[in-house]
Amino acid sequence: MEQVGRVTRRGVLAAAVALPLAAAGCQGLGVLGTPPRPRPDVAVLRAAIGGETLLIGQYTAVLAAQPGLASLLAPLLGQHRAHLGRLRARLIVPPGAATPSPSPSPRAHVQVPGSTAAAQAFLQQAEHSAAQSLLGRLPAASPSLAQLLASIAASEASHALLLGPGRGAG
Amino acid sequence: MTASPAPGAARERAAAIRALQTALAAEHTAVYGYAVAGAHLTGSRQKAATRDWIAHQTARDALTAMVAALGAQPVPASATYQLPFAVRGAQAAVALLALLEDGLATAYLGLVALTGDRLRLFGAQGVQTAALRATGWRGSTLAFPGLAAPAAR
Repeated sequence: MEQVGRVTRRGVLAAAVALPLAAAGCQGLGVLGTPPRPRPDVAVLRAAIGGETLLIGQYTAVLAAQPGLASLLAPLLGQHRAHLGRLRARLIVPPGAATPSPSPSPRAHVQVPGSTAAAQAFLQQAEHSAAQSLLGRLPAASPSLAQLLASIAASEASHALLLGPGRGAG
Repeated sequence: MTASPAPGAARERAAAIRALQTALAAEHTAVYGYAVAGAHLTGSRQKAATRDWIAHQTARDALTAMVAALGAQPVPASATYQLPFAVRGAQAAVALLALLEDGLATAYLGLVALTGDRLRLFGAQGVQTAALRATGWRGSTLAFPGLAAPAAR
């Protein structure tokens, strides 16, 4: 039964792809026109999603290397997952637009510093950069997305506060 | 066709005034609340509360000037405020301060929905400052400072 469902879904997808191509074949590319331009929010959202994905990867790598930091980091990581979920929920890709390249595997390219103090400082710096980068995206965002980004930036700035020296488990 | 004053600009100005007044009212509440809470704190926490209390007075004055510069009458402080709970000790005082900062985050987030880049950034910095202070008082962070629970939006 499962197999049948999967095949059917694939068939529907194939049909969805084939139809516009058939239309282009009949009427010429000019009629097809350019695919709908993604609204500015789509670009802002993708960048913000990329930033959160990177942070989650950095937290995951630090947690794996420094399990002693779990009590400090786990709640913060949970909040990043909430950020990512909220951002992804807003990403509605217009039909016909190119699908974004898949995000890199979360643990890729993360060099975790050797000591807990250095690992904490590494994440603190990452939080600062992420918050700063979100603030830089405010002008390009719609009002409600700007509010979400500002809220996430404030959350990340407060994470950085908790990651400061003397506040963690190290 | 007679030229009318740009309705879009007037609407934006009115929205800016509304959002600034909301932030100003929240600062008035904070100035009152910090005075109440500060009386129940001692040592380093009292010092921190006094520092934040002064910062809120400065923010209140800045917002008052911003509202006035837009040609509106700044909302005045009330003589007294209804606190969410009775403050009879240090624990309740700290809880009140965290709650006041949550309220400020919400108020400043209103400015981020405006169209002007400068007010957006000003609002975002206000949200951040409030979130940092709330974290200082509470010892933990929020995922979405200033925003309602995820289901609400």
